[in-house]
Parts: sequence; structure tokens; C-alpha cells
Amino acid sequence: MKLLIIEDEQGLRENITTYFSDDGNICESCRDLNSAMGKLAMYEYDCILLDIGLPDGDGFTILEYLRAKMKNESVIIISARNSLDDKLRGLDIGADDYLTKPFHLAELKARVVAVLRRKMGSNKGLLVFNEISIDLQGRTVTVNDTAIILTRKEYEMLLYFIANKGKVISKMALAEHLWGDEMDMHSHFDFIYTHIKNLRKKILEANGKDYLQSVYGIGYKFISA
Amino acid sequence: MKLAAHYNRTNILITVTLLIIGAAIYFFAINYIARKQLDRDLSEEIEEVEDYVNTNNKLPKQVDFDEDQTVFTKTDQKNLETRFFDTTYINPKEKKAEPGRAIESIIRLNGSDYKVIISVSRESTEYLLQFVGVITLSLMAGLLLILFLANRYFLNGLWKPFYDLLQQIKLFNISEEKNFKLSGGQVSEFIELSAAVESMSARVRNDYRNLKDLTDNASHEMLTPLAVITSKLDILIQNETLPLEIYEQIEDIYAATGKLSRLNQTLLLLTKIENNMINGSETIDLSVLLADKIKQFNELILAKRISVNERLSAKDVFASKYLIDILLNNLISNAIWHNKDDGELVIILNERELIFQNTGTPVALNKDTIFERFKKDSKSEGTGLGLTLVENICKFYAWEINYDFKDELHSFKINF
Repeated sequence: MKLLIIEDEQGLRENITTYFSDDGNICESCRDLNSAMGKLAMYEYDCILLDIGLPDGDGFTILEYLRAKMKNESVIIISARNSLDDKLRGLDIGADDYLTKPFHLAELKARVVAVLRRKMGSNKGLLVFNEISIDLQGRTVTVNDTAIILTRKEYEMLLYFIANKGKVISKMALAEHLWGDEMDMHSHFDFIYTHIKNLRKKILEANGKDYLQSVYGIGYKFISA
Repeated sequence: MKLAAHYNRTNILITVTLLIIGAAIYFFAINYIARKQLDRDLSEEIEEVEDYVNTNNKLPKQVDFDEDQTVFTKTDQKNLETRFFDTTYINPKEKKAEPGRAIESIIRLNGSDYKVIISVSRESTEYLLQFVGVITLSLMAGLLLILFLANRYFLNGLWKPFYDLLQQIKLFNISEEKNFKLSGGQVSEFIELSAAVESMSARVRNDYRNLKDLTDNASHEMLTPLAVITSKLDILIQNETLPLEIYEQIEDIYAATGKLSRLNQTLLLLTKIENNMINGSETIDLSVLLADKIKQFNELILAKRISVNERLSAKDVFASKYLIDILLNNLISNAIWHNKDDGELVIILNERELIFQNTGTPVALNKDTIFERFKKDSKSEGTGLGLTLVENICKFYAWEINYDFKDELHSFKINF
């Protein structure tokens, strides 16, 4: 997929680019409204990651421009402003999702994947990853054509892992994804371990590959091969 | 006591004292003058009698003396000093005793001495005194009445702008943009007071706004660097060749960053609540939401083997779903994190109150500081803002929240 990252903070821009580029995605980035407009006028993108607070104006201008030009890009707002008004305004004028800083790159990736899936209309279809196939509408999973019963958390976890396949995901990022940041899991990550263990067992029992790896106690990785 | 009452008391005290002193002076002065007048009249009478005796060589008859009563008595006393004295005067017409004034003197007629006593009525003088007394009393009553009315209507009216202003100062809310209004004041002191209060509140508001903006901006500005740190860490751990110790370090950085960002979010939320920047209220059935929340926290509850005792009856509140979510999240997670293994959690909801009771450390927490910012025990991994947030949300909806420790249970009670 082709991504445009509009973000004025260089460090963040680079990290997002690094994280997304691995899977053969094309990432372009720019640091202000002006250059973003220039790029949007010339090229097409699948998804735009848009910071609202830009040095030469606010990102809503981009959304309005896209809407006026009837352009088809998906937009995910990444903003430091956790305000409901901003969120509603953004979603109202065409953003597909809203992510508040700070966020984990894995979370951003999962959101991008979900947004693109929705855009393609494939969110109602079947997501196939090797021997695992997930019916996104019915929320059921089969491994080698054997149905496995997952709890809600295990199901969400599986989707999250597949979106970030081949990446090490920190326990912190997983916890935030599964429980939200308001639930304040602190350093109690035993629950995550329990869920991972169960998910892994269920896939293995259906003769699936052992995809889940623990990485030095810091997180987990869903190997892509 | 009100200023008007103080003023009134002093005023009345001085007026009444002055009036009483004045009345006494009046009384004595009039009495003295009237007596002098009577005495002079009586002296003239005596002289007349002497003249009469000298020209006619006989004693005058009673008739010649009008209303005065004259008594002649033969006497052997040679030297009787002429003297005046008070006596009783019998009014010849009405046969009534009246206070009188009399003179006593000696008259010599045909070689013999007569003692002559002339008495007159003092009735008219008494009248005068009574009249003056009545006037003084009514003056006093009138004055008191006027003072009372003046205080009641005039003074109160005069002070009204002051009390209005006072009321406005009492209702002063630092986050509210409302100017002080001086109602119909032409009194320069009040105008000055109002101006001083106005400029003071403007200064306070300005300082407050600056501080608020600082918190707001600082918190926002911190979020982007935090995002950079988080994403750097996310990239860093992709490198699977790092030594194990480095991962341990990274994990700590993750934890600290997570905490920092939670702190930041909470501070931002607190500022928002304190500035009434919460909008979008709806009717929420707390019992439904609570049951949901308990389900959400089920994993944690099971992990600590906490037995939950919920007694929930329907209770509708009109509030922001967002804030109520945070409120319940904080109360429940508080009751779980600080609980002990195999502990107890009691949640009671009814029309009047919401109560969370949990086991935990067997020592009561400090009631006075428990809701303060950054007050937490050393073992707590929280931000120290959770209960502050709870208290602020309660305050925002004018609910009262109390902490209590009884029968080994820490209890947080919200009165709606």
C-alpha cells in the first residue's frame, strides 16, 4: 500500500516510515500543510496519516481539500489533542479514524490495516493468513478448516498480531489494545500471557503452526512465514 | 451584627441621652423661671397690700385679691423675714386642692402687727411643665420612629449596592467569565470598591488563565515527544540482537513512558473538568453501566479471587458518558488494585448513593488527603491522580464523596 505521513515531528515521521516500510509498503512523508497539498495534488495514496497541529495550519484543511476534490484516500488523524470535539469534527469531515498521541506503532498499523480493509469492503469477507482464515463478519476462525473457538480478547489479539506480523509487539502495546488505556493495566501483564498461551494452544491443537514467540520478556512476535 | 445595626444603636443611644438631658434642663429651667415669676408677682401683691394699708388704714378685703388668697393673722412676732414657700392652694370656685405658692410677711397697722400670707395657684406652671414633657416625649418617639424608618428603608437602600456586590463576590467562580455589576451605585466608596474588586478579579482570572493555558499547552506539547519515545522503543525492540539487559532497560522505559502519558492525559482531563469544558450529557442508567464495568474487570477480579457482592438498583443520572466511564473505571480499578487476594468487593447502588467497599490494607487511609493530587502509598503503581479525578467528577456534578474505613472495609460513598 501507499502511505502519506503528514507529521511535523521528524522523529515520529521517521519511525512511522521505518515501521511501515518493512512489508513492501511505500511511505512518503512531509512536514507541513503546503508540501502535503502539493503531494496530494499530484499523487494518489491508499492511506494518509494526518497530524492536526501542523506548523503552517491545521490538518482539517487537508480533510476539507480531499472532500472537495472527491478523493478516495483513507485518513487516520494522529493528534496530540484528545478532545472529543476534534475527534467528532475530524470524523465528520471524512477522517476514518482518530488516534491520540502517544500511540504504539503496532496500534497505528492495526488501525491502518482495519481502515484499508473497510475501504476495500473486505471487512465483511474472509481474512486468510496461511492456514488461518478469519471470517471478519461472523468473527469465527478456522485453522486448517477446523473451527477454533476464541474468546473476544483472543480474537482481537489474533487480528492485531496478523496486522503486525513479523513485528515484535511490546506487552504494553498489547495491553493498551486489549484493555484500552483507561483501564490502567500498570505492569500486570500476566493476563496477556494467559491470553497468548491460550491462543497459541488453540492454534496448535488445530494443527496450525506455532506462530507466537515470546521475545526476551518484552513482548511477542507473530512470525510471518 | 450588621453595620446598620451598629450605626443604629449608637445613633439611638446618643439621641435618647441628649433628649433626656435636654428634657431635664427644660424642666429645671422652666420650673425656675416660673417660680421666679410667681415670687415676683407675690412680692408685688405684698407691696400692694402695704400701700392699701398705708392709704386706707385698714386691712383689705379678700375680694380685692382676685384669685389670690390672703390671710391676715394678728401676731406678736416683730421680725418675720419675708419668705416664699410651696403650699396647697384651694381653688375657691372648684373647691379643689391645687399646688400653690405663698408669701409670708409682716404688716403693721394701727400699732399692731399682722402676719399676712398670700397664696396663688401654681396650676398654670404645672401645665406648662407637663406640656413641655409631652412635647419632649413625642419628639423622642418621633425621632426613634424616623431613625428606624430611615435605617429600614433609606440606609438599607444605600447599602444595597454593597450587599449586591458582596453576593457577587461570594458567587465568584474563577473559571467563569462574568463581570461584577454595581447596581445603581452613586456612592463613590462603592464605586471604588467595585472597581477594586473588578480589577482584582481580572488579575486573578488572568493569572488563572495563564496557568491553565500553561498546563494545557505543556501537557499537549509533551504528548508529541512522548509519541516519539514510544515509537522509538517500538522500533528498537524490532532489533532482536540486543543483549537481554537492554530489553530489561527498554521495558522500564516503556513503563515510565506509559505512566507519563497516563499522567498527562489525566492532568489534561482534570483541567478540562475544572474549566467546565465537558459537553454532551445524556441520561445514563448507572446500574447497567456498572454491571458492564464489572464484567470488563472480570479478569482482574478472578485473578485476585475477589468475591464481588453487587446490589444494584436502577439509577438514572444525566451526565457525560465519558466522565461517568472514567469515574466508574477509577473506582472499580481502585477497589481491585488495592484489594488483597481472596478479598471482598461490595458495590451498592440505589436512588440516593453509590458505595464501593473493598478489603485491603487493614489500616484506614487519611480522610483529609486521600483525594489530594499525587497522594498515594509507596506501593501504588498508579498516577496518584485517580481519586483526585473521581473527586473532581463528583464535584462537577455536585455529588458528595466520602471515604470511610469500617469493619476492615475501605468504603467510598457518593451521595447523589
